[in-house]
Amino acid sequence: MITKRFSLQFIFALSISIFSIYLVFFLNPDGAIRILLNLVTFAGIYGLSAIGLNVHFGWTGLLNFGHASFMGVGAYVTLLLMPHAAGREGVVVTTGLPFFVALIIGILAAALFGLLLGLPAIRLRGDYLAIVTIAAAEIFRLLVRDLESITGGVYGIINYTENFQKYRPSFIDELSDNLGFSASQGWVCLAAWISIFFTVLFLKRLSKSPWGRALRAVREDEDAVRAMGKNAVWLKLQSFMLGAGIAGLSGVLLAFNYGSLESTVFIPLLTFYVWAIMILGGVGTITGPIFGSIIFWVIISETDRLAYLLFENANGQQLAGVRFLLVGVLIMFLMIFRPSGLLGKKEELLLDVK
Amino acid sequence: MLNNLISVKNLKKSFGGITAVDIKELSFIEGELTSVIGPNGAGKTTFFDLISGFQNADSGDIFLKEKNISNSQPYKIARMGMVRTFQLTKVFDRMTVMENLLFSGSDVNNDSFLRSILKLNSQKVYENSLKDKANEIMNDLNIGHMADSYARELSGGQKKLLELARAIINEPEILLLDEPLAGVNPKLAEDILSLIKKLSEDGITIVMVEHNIEAVMKISERVVVLAEGSLIADGSPNEIRTNKNVIEAYLGKDDE
Repeated sequence: MITKRFSLQFIFALSISIFSIYLVFFLNPDGAIRILLNLVTFAGIYGLSAIGLNVHFGWTGLLNFGHASFMGVGAYVTLLLMPHAAGREGVVVTTGLPFFVALIIGILAAALFGLLLGLPAIRLRGDYLAIVTIAAAEIFRLLVRDLESITGGVYGIINYTENFQKYRPSFIDELSDNLGFSASQGWVCLAAWISIFFTVLFLKRLSKSPWGRALRAVREDEDAVRAMGKNAVWLKLQSFMLGAGIAGLSGVLLAFNYGSLESTVFIPLLTFYVWAIMILGGVGTITGPIFGSIIFWVIISETDRLAYLLFENANGQQLAGVRFLLVGVLIMFLMIFRPSGLLGKKEELLLDVK
Repeated sequence: MLNNLISVKNLKKSFGGITAVDIKELSFIEGELTSVIGPNGAGKTTFFDLISGFQNADSGDIFLKEKNISNSQPYKIARMGMVRTFQLTKVFDRMTVMENLLFSGSDVNNDSFLRSILKLNSQKVYENSLKDKANEIMNDLNIGHMADSYARELSGGQKKLLELARAIINEPEILLLDEPLAGVNPKLAEDILSLIKKLSEDGITIVMVEHNIEAVMKISERVVVLAEGSLIADGSPNEIRTNKNVIEAYLGKDDE
């Protein structure tokens, strides 16, 4: 019975996602492929990040509002270890590690930062942890901005994409010639969705395991976990590391999608986007954020066109306002009619934070 | 045999100016079923929190199996074989009854990230034997039919049973029960009482805080009375029944 309901939900989420993509074609008669690729790439990257956040919040109940910093640590560590140019003068660093080595170190660094940020979680619960994580994420961002000699500060990092693009399979170039999209973004998009695939496999293996069960027990009641002889603090730290590692990977992909990286990418808004995606998709689910992400990005990128249809005389700034108004209305409707998200189970509705 | 499993010395805890617990010496003997009673605010739950590590004492020492556990982490104390339940039930609401039990019964190594990723056959075998054990316990406690329900769907009494079941599967040597009969209907209270008695006969040392004096007198081998944080009486149920201090504490001083 549960599987049947699940598959119905799954079909519902899938059809909404397909409808959203259809909407892109409908609203953009010309150049739909390019817009769609851009959208699917962002959806993949943010979806991956939301999957990581779900390990924190959905599985373990940790209110993490510093997710952007995990993405940032992953991105900065990986990029700085590879050949790149940084700062106002464009200081060129020609030596560095190969992409895959740098990537692994970047992910590990993000996980380590997760451990560090998780340390206050030893004593803090609920909203207090949220405040600490959001503050830590801002400290990270401001540090990156001000350490200009290393990170390039507000001038950012450039000339790093080749490290990754040189692995691009040739069929992408052929496809891009025929369909008229950017080959390098096609490769980032493919990498993002491959990452999602393997991350989902990895987490599926964990979610029903004794370890996943222990995390959910921490989410439900830490005191009871302690009373049974389990180290709740260590479980929380492990959860922080895993989710942060996944976020680190998504941060690297985000950097390659942008082609240049500045600290402003990792403002708190990024964290809130990821939260919205997770809630849309279904808190506590594994694949939910993927659908949540597709729908979120269709809304974000297409509502200004919808708004334009509604308000012909509005200017760009007004349209941007209408866009977020529509996003808000949509999330409100979703929370009223499907409070557990697209794929979430009603019995496991996780939005009531203790 | 009269081994002091738990003993406390000069244990003190106060909140602001109010002394919650002030006990000079108190021991619990291996295999005995002891009840801790006292008027509201006598410091019974605080006393439990102190010996299970959920609160730190201001001063004094707590010994478990002759090891000083003052200021130890709760999970370390639990691993030494002392498991507690809570006055307000703390079940894992959004997990099934079965999962509640499996988590509690699962060995710490079995929970490890590495083992869960590798999914070795040994883990599967272990989980299956744990499931059998959980089923057995749930059937004994008449919650077997709820195994796949979410714990939050249980009634208050069933939650009490689930908490007990969860403690039992952990295979404790010492069980601290904080008001196991609170908010439970009389029929179920009978069942829980006989279960506690059976556990005691199986050799588990039980210390229980309970307000239902009738029940306490019926099953306890020893009764300890606290009032305003201090120990005022300690003895067999019959001795306590006639103890002048106890009657005073419950009914107030007789103005002669």
